[in-house]
Amino acid sequence: MAATEVTHHRPSVVCSDLDIVYTVFGAKKKGTDTGGDLPFVERLLTKRNPVSSVRKVHAVKKVSFVVGHGEAVGIIGRNGSGKSTLLRAIAGLIPPTGGRVWAAGRPSLLGVNAVLLSGLTGSKNVMIGGLALGLTPRQVRDRYDDIVAFSGIGDFVDLPMSAYSSGMGARLRFAISTAAAPDILMIDEALATGDADFQARSRERIAEIRRDASTVFLVSHSNAAIRESCDRVLWMDQGRLVMDGPTEDVVRAYEQSHRKVTA
Amino acid sequence: MTIGSNVVDGVEERTVPARLTPEQAATLARGAGLEELGVRPRFGGYVREVWGYRHLVWHLSSAQAWAANQNNYLGQLWAVINPLLLVGSYYLIFGLLLKTRGGTENYIAFLTIGIFVFGYSATAIIAGSRAVVGQIGLVRALRFPRAVLPISVTLTQLLVNVPAFAVLIVMIPLTGEPFSLHWLLFPVALLLQTLINLGLAFFLARIVNAARDSSNLVPVGVRLARYVSGVFFSIPHYAGHGLVSALLLYQPLAVSMTTAREALMDQYALTWGSWVAAAAWGVGLCAAGLIFFWRGEGRYGSN
Repeated sequence: MAATEVTHHRPSVVCSDLDIVYTVFGAKKKGTDTGGDLPFVERLLTKRNPVSSVRKVHAVKKVSFVVGHGEAVGIIGRNGSGKSTLLRAIAGLIPPTGGRVWAAGRPSLLGVNAVLLSGLTGSKNVMIGGLALGLTPRQVRDRYDDIVAFSGIGDFVDLPMSAYSSGMGARLRFAISTAAAPDILMIDEALATGDADFQARSRERIAEIRRDASTVFLVSHSNAAIRESCDRVLWMDQGRLVMDGPTEDVVRAYEQSHRKVTA
Repeated sequence: MTIGSNVVDGVEERTVPARLTPEQAATLARGAGLEELGVRPRFGGYVREVWGYRHLVWHLSSAQAWAANQNNYLGQLWAVINPLLLVGSYYLIFGLLLKTRGGTENYIAFLTIGIFVFGYSATAIIAGSRAVVGQIGLVRALRFPRAVLPISVTLTQLLVNVPAFAVLIVMIPLTGEPFSLHWLLFPVALLLQTLINLGLAFFLARIVNAARDSSNLVPVGVRLARYVSGVFFSIPHYAGHGLVSALLLYQPLAVSMTTAREALMDQYALTWGSWVAAAAWGVGLCAAGLIFFWRGEGRYGSN
């Protein structure tokens, strides 16, 4: 329970009744669309079938929690349960629709789509990513060799990122994001595409970051990865936080819940 | 650990530690010195924050300007070839076929300046309007003051157009314009034009982010402006000296061309009116645009 005590002493993220609703463009329900056979103009005139429908998605509902410095928190749940949206809100990238979020210092989010600017070379992405994380140009240049070495992408660093495999992109982004010693590091499935060697090195890097009293959030569908890196887990389902507690308890309850479904 | 369950909307809520009330959460966060996310910072602090990210602006702009012409064989040469081709076709249409050269002594210089200078504004306005929605990957991955985006997009377009302006400076004497010290004012004219473009980018970037569909109207507006701003005809010659002419002549895009022509062409003497108008538009649009853009901060990237 040591982690929970830290929580109450020095919080790094406070999330209070967070609600997130976002708009999706072009989200037309296919099956219910009976106007598909009508000519275009008639479709425009039929009220039920607007040209492009816009839908509201209530992705996160009334989520509250407090996380402390040095904690590693896993977020689990089925696809579409609001994990990534929650993470983006804690990173300050999506404004809350309701409720409030506070965070310490500079968060760094490592998303599934690792590429920042796909038309630019890896080395330009290192510079731009580093500057956006608040480093000075000199600091980025000083750490440049380490970043490239850690990512292990070699000569590819001079090619546009559009030529990278998804694993290479993720490795470079991970190296950039962790070079700035973020106060809060958030990893959204970004390590899943790396190979075994890279996964081992990234686990080490995460442990180092935690020793510097940074907070780590990890979204993953691999319960093994969550067990290895996290001491606390949030379980999300349909946008709600259904369970928040020590890793073993939550992961076991989560695993039991699928067994019930499949049985 | 006990599993207490209550069911909310069909979702079983298991063990969640005691929730803090919103007031308790606020007190806890304040006590720990945490920063609230998704809220708009004060204007002064925002401007300072943008200044703190000036290196990001520069690296983003220079990298993207260089990448702009990289995906074809002739590469950076296109920055020069494109405007030249445009001058050729406009000369054919307006100089030889429609004969809109009235009131100009050196129509080729007049037309070339018009096309290059307006071309810069046109690309900067279109790119500026998509400054936020076009770089959503960056917006969704990294937190920085979003005003960095319109600024860097405008700067990118300035850099992309530098080769074209260099060609312009080489072409002008070839058309028979005598060299004059006024040419040194050309960079000043470009600076004022850049401020105007930036101001418009601030306004449009926020509007397009809030109402996606409006991005389809921007190119239409730019095209309309191309035909009324005096790119290929002299406004006073065709529209006279009445109110309509003054409105056409002193709108920001036309003023940019007037100042450039006054700097580079012998026929047009420097006038206070156009330079003061350009400076007023530049500073005014930039300041108002930044305030307008700042008022939307905290909502960029929400959809």
